[in-house]
Amino acid sequence: MFLEFVEGPLWYFSVVVFVVGVLWRLWDVFRQPSRTDLALARGSGVPGAVRTVVTRSWTAKGFSRGATFHLVAGYMFHIGLFVLLIFAAPHVKFIEERILGFGWTPAPHWVFMVASDLAFAGLLLLWLRRLMHPVMRKISTFDDHAAAILTFVVMLTGCLALLKSHDSLRAIHMLTVCLLMIYFPFSRLMHAFTFPISRAYTGAAMARKGVNA
Amino acid sequence: MSDHLSPSAFPTEPRRHRLPPGVRARVTRVLLALLAFVLIAPLVPYAAMYAERGNVPNPGTALWNEVRQRTGPIDADTQVRGVESPVLINQVGERWQQFRSDMLVPAGAWLLLGTLAFLALFRILRGRIPLEGGRSGELVPRFSVNQRVVHWFAAILFVFLAVTGLILLYGRFVLIPLLGPEGFSATAAAAKEGHNLFGPIFPFAVLALMVLFLRGNAFNWVDVKWFFKAGGLLKGHPASSGYYNGGQKSWFWMVVLFGIAISVSGLILDFGVFGQGREVMAWAHVVHGGVAVVFIAASLGHIYIGTIGMEGAFESMSHGYVDANWAREHHDLWLAEMQAAGMVGVEPNALEEVKRHDNIDFKGFGAPGRKAAEG
Repeated sequence: MFLEFVEGPLWYFSVVVFVVGVLWRLWDVFRQPSRTDLALARGSGVPGAVRTVVTRSWTAKGFSRGATFHLVAGYMFHIGLFVLLIFAAPHVKFIEERILGFGWTPAPHWVFMVASDLAFAGLLLLWLRRLMHPVMRKISTFDDHAAAILTFVVMLTGCLALLKSHDSLRAIHMLTVCLLMIYFPFSRLMHAFTFPISRAYTGAAMARKGVNA
Repeated sequence: MSDHLSPSAFPTEPRRHRLPPGVRARVTRVLLALLAFVLIAPLVPYAAMYAERGNVPNPGTALWNEVRQRTGPIDADTQVRGVESPVLINQVGERWQQFRSDMLVPAGAWLLLGTLAFLALFRILRGRIPLEGGRSGELVPRFSVNQRVVHWFAAILFVFLAVTGLILLYGRFVLIPLLGPEGFSATAAAAKEGHNLFGPIFPFAVLALMVLFLRGNAFNWVDVKWFFKAGGLLKGHPASSGYYNGGQKSWFWMVVLFGIAISVSGLILDFGVFGQGREVMAWAHVVHGGVAVVFIAASLGHIYIGTIGMEGAFESMSHGYVDANWAREHHDLWLAEMQAAGMVGVEPNALEEVKRHDNIDFKGFGAPGRKAAEG
């Protein structure tokens, strides 16, 4: 009964909130008036936009020592999460049956284990650093902690339900997934969609000024 | 009709034997002996078998001895390719099951409950260990950002693995009465998956702990004296110590040794695809379960004294600083070093902490080395 509710009405409600909320936030970003640059552009902004989207994927020279922890743990978490989300066998089946109508070859179990360990360890380390590092602690808000904890709980409940032996475990996982999808558009988790926009905007602006950002 | 019934039909004279009575008696005895021989002789082999029945191999016994491998590994083969696939009944598995149910479960329960009872008694008798001199308001930096991150990383993993492990070990006795069979089944399934999934991260946490906390954890005579004074836990009997005291050093080495044992045995159990047989798995289980129970029991003491058992202890791992009076009462020799280095009474400074984090963090900054003294 509870499983039917979370996989039925609550799931559809969450999808609607997620899709509409994300589109609304993106539209909100693009409709912001940009400041007119009166200076003569020294070059096209496009190459700078593309370059910055790519080069911001690692730390700039001079910052690597202090950012090593963040870089390594960040990639551990994000790569692990991506593999779990897209290639975990239960997710592939769910996407095929409930969303797209087609699926793909899921990752073998050992890949799932490695990915989930990377994701859990990475997220835990990043969150603990947020709590312990004096600067990170000062600039962190409730949203940062809530997003980290909610993401962790979603991953945890998913992994605990891996045996697929009990509907109750699946229902708990689906419930946390729905909560995350509802929370997503109104939180900093939106960076999953906005990071290329932000990087491209900065890169293009700097390229027009003739600065290698 | 009556003639043949007349007395004349019966012989009235005694019958005459041709053999004399003595010979006849002997013949009779011989005949009786022969008769006995004929009757008894066929039974002799049976009697012999009965008398020697322990030495006669039973074909069924031999078969089951082979099946149960009582005389060692069998030379059998099968179409099924896999580790120990010709083995039908594994003796090691039975022995492990007996160890688990007869030894590990009850002894572990006594150890854990005994530790909890000891801590409760200690709490009642000693109370919370206070800062005798109150708070001085002067702070001393103790643990770096990386040390605290790694400590809590390992601690969260440890608690999760301990709880899920205890559910697997004792859930049958504790949770079924509370949750019912169905509830316990779901909880145990979740605990098993969680334990197997988080387990492989733990060795990395132990390794990081070793790297970041190794410095200053070698035992010396100060620690011997510290142990003789019961670590200063008894009222009015303070014990000197440096950056780490004897108890903390013991806990560190326990974490290292138990951590290695539990990690290696756990990986053997978690990844059963490298050709390890049942015997190796059973031994790994014995080590894993036994060490885990002792590890958890010891951790209860560490958790107690680091949180509610001692005033001022928790903040060393939460914020990285301790009050100077706490350092004076529990780590006086270290405080003297820090005073000499001018690191007592520092203001919590984010920039300074970041500088330490980025530059000397991996060496720690609790024990002031040359750099700290210069700084």
